[in-house]
Amino acid sequence: MRKGIWEEFDGYRDILTEIEASRLVARKRSFTLDFADQYIHRLHPQQLKLEVADIIPETRDTRTFRLVPTDTVLPPFLAGQYLALYLDVNGICTSRPYSISSPPNQVGYCDITVKRVPHGLVSNFLLDRIRKGDSLTTSGPQGNFYFNPLVHGDTMICLAGGSGITPFMSMIREIIECSLSRKVILYYGNTSSDDIIFHEALSHIAERFDHIRYIPVIETATDDYEGQCGLITADLIKETAGNMETATFFLCGPQGMYDFCLPQIDQLGIPRRKIRKERYGPPADISQDPAWPPDIEATHQYSVSVKGGPQFSAPATVPLLVSLEKNGVVPPAICRSGECSMCRVKVLSGKVFQPANTPVRKSDTRYGYIHACVSYPLTDIEILL
Amino acid sequence: MSKFDVTIIGAGNGGLTAAASLAQKGLNVLLLERHNIPGGCATSFCRGRFEFEIALHQLSGLGTPEIPGPLRMSLDKLGVMDDLNFVEIADLYSVHNPEGFHITLKPQKEQFLAELKNAFPHEKEAIDSFFDLVYQYANDMVGAFIFRDPEPSRAKYPRLYSYAFKKAGDVLDDFFNDPLLKAVLSVYWGYLGVSIDQLAFAYLAMVLWQYIEFKPYHIKGGSQALSNAIFNKFLSHGGWARFNCGASQIITHGDTVAGVITDQGDEITCDYIVSNVSPIVTYGLMIGEDKIPESTITEVKSRQLSTSALTMFIGFDCEPEQIGIHESTNFLMLNTDMSIRNHERMRRIDIADELMVLSCYDVSDPEFSPPGTCQANIVTLKYGEPWLRISPQQYLDVKFRCAEQMLKRVQAIYPDIRTHIEEIEVGTPLTHMRYLGHPLGAIYGFEHQTKDSLFFQPGRYSPIKGLYFAGGWAGDGGFEPTLRSGMAAANSIAKKLNQV
Repeated sequence: MRKGIWEEFDGYRDILTEIEASRLVARKRSFTLDFADQYIHRLHPQQLKLEVADIIPETRDTRTFRLVPTDTVLPPFLAGQYLALYLDVNGICTSRPYSISSPPNQVGYCDITVKRVPHGLVSNFLLDRIRKGDSLTTSGPQGNFYFNPLVHGDTMICLAGGSGITPFMSMIREIIECSLSRKVILYYGNTSSDDIIFHEALSHIAERFDHIRYIPVIETATDDYEGQCGLITADLIKETAGNMETATFFLCGPQGMYDFCLPQIDQLGIPRRKIRKERYGPPADISQDPAWPPDIEATHQYSVSVKGGPQFSAPATVPLLVSLEKNGVVPPAICRSGECSMCRVKVLSGKVFQPANTPVRKSDTRYGYIHACVSYPLTDIEILL
Repeated sequence: MSKFDVTIIGAGNGGLTAAASLAQKGLNVLLLERHNIPGGCATSFCRGRFEFEIALHQLSGLGTPEIPGPLRMSLDKLGVMDDLNFVEIADLYSVHNPEGFHITLKPQKEQFLAELKNAFPHEKEAIDSFFDLVYQYANDMVGAFIFRDPEPSRAKYPRLYSYAFKKAGDVLDDFFNDPLLKAVLSVYWGYLGVSIDQLAFAYLAMVLWQYIEFKPYHIKGGSQALSNAIFNKFLSHGGWARFNCGASQIITHGDTVAGVITDQGDEITCDYIVSNVSPIVTYGLMIGEDKIPESTITEVKSRQLSTSALTMFIGFDCEPEQIGIHESTNFLMLNTDMSIRNHERMRRIDIADELMVLSCYDVSDPEFSPPGTCQANIVTLKYGEPWLRISPQQYLDVKFRCAEQMLKRVQAIYPDIRTHIEEIEVGTPLTHMRYLGHPLGAIYGFEHQTKDSLFFQPGRYSPIKGLYFAGGWAGDGGFEPTLRSGMAAANSIAKKLNQV
């Protein structure tokens, strides 16, 4: 017991009695609280060890990998969230986020649907090298792209492009399998009708359920195609969506889709708070960013020194995260789109480029913290992990 | 490098100031942090175009350069004041209820009292007497403990000796009859985590006094600015830091610190450790219960964990005035109950008539959120343990259900909020467990009962030689106490090494 003038304060004896009593009771209590940790890991596992139970062909360049947990139960998640796959591809440890295409009520397995990206490191690896029975390690479910019952109304107007259909499959399946009342109007854009992922499933669902509507839109249609052609425009939405008062817009697709569709939605007078966009990877070509310094070219290389780690050369137009991974340095990374801040590192010296809308904390900007997945070296740099 | 003078486990407020202070004194310091940022709960997160401040509501203890508070003096010593931009908050707090009661209290003694007497004229004299007591008590505290009077006595500090261990609820009952007045004066129990019927008068008196005298502050860039500034200072003094790397084990030789094993499996040799992690985890998981004297284990087991919280972060697509928010700190009150029933409210999952606090930083700092937008942070206190009894499959539904209940309470005071919500995020006690690693998501360390104040518990000291604690588990919770606790731990180590 600590000694001091408080021993003479009024009520001191009473406190001592309380302390004595609490210590008597304490002897029977357990000291550690492991059960809480176990519960948190159940909800938010750091990693999932999954096995490929099935590989389902969807289109000529797309397959669904049906993953089952081997040492745990699948954690709960919200339809629209994604997993980051942790992979060793030809000796390089990297990761890629893939939206979960199965619904959250499906607790037996977890689907990810992968579309081949021309020259894509990971998609080609998955489609060509992964077999049934193979193991995959992933993050737990992550992401902010989901229907929020607090504020998103009763209707989801969904705009999907290409492989961006995957989170919507999870959302739609959940609605019909759990008999949820919210309505969906899905506009799904693809270049050609051969590329429409889940076309049969979506058509079938739309036929059977009044509150799920499906409008495929094909950019370059063949003569025998009878559906909607062109792009997803304001006019198309206005003609087909009906009353949008209580609707929230959800967009998921390649950058080109956002570039076209966001102004279209703006034309409809939809306020910003009713538009939700899924982040979709770093920019395809950072040198096209309006703020990119014109004198820096893709061929330029800069030295990257990791404090307490290696030094290597990195091209200006390759994300710092990718260059780090290529050189055996693997910071945590999940969304790889600048949003989740897991790959945050500190630039100790030198200059780096980040797209203007990257959500970095104000103070982080001041102290040189960047999101490595959307950062590009503009000079020689030294970083602290 | 694998040999250091000191290893700091955890880069929360206490770990950061300990690290910076020790590095400043010329020691070789390693800081381990399992998250990828410094700060612990002194941080923020981004959603859409918003940056949501997590934990800093009103910074206490700063004062002005002319009348510096203890926190300003500590930050001055660390040399970080020039890196930080503080904004004095004009209002201390407001209280609202759905029946239309609304009072705004200022952090100036005369205005504070005038406003109270205006709202409760039938208690005018009692208000003056009560605040006479509060100020006399505070002056006694400062004389005896801050200025360390070498010969304190009951004659010199009568209020201190008679009131320190009284319960705040009892003292309020002694002075006042009006339940609403008592409720208005006691709202800061929410910043301490103990309902007013149990809370020591000492805590209530000091929190009111120091906010009025040293003023409440907001920091430009939020608490992450503070965390980054202190961390940067640490680096500038040659400190080493490893992020995404916590400590999994503390190595002892007999009863003396020998080193640390990191999460990545490598061993660090050091003579001193400052743990910014709870004693429960430090002793129970990192060292091992069997290596700690039984009396210490019993002591830790005899304490209660403080409450956790349900927090809601909302980004609005309009200015605060458009939705009726005119003050930065707003307590939303549904009843004036100050009894043990508050304890029950904290134990139940659902939200009905709980006291809630809505903070809108944009009122004091219009640059905090992007132009044309603002944010609100709404907190209500909830113990963590009941949340562990929700089946995982139901957790998300329960989270949304509680959030809806909170929103309805907020709407009762600010009816127009729903049509302006652009981003909304909810933190439950499980969220706090996950990110802070604190047992049961406790946000204030051990529960602040009188028997657990620094008069009675070991604070930063440990029976293991070389091991010190810093942060909310080493004393009081809140920004000012935890920041200063790190300085105290650093001083203890420096004294041992004769390097003050």
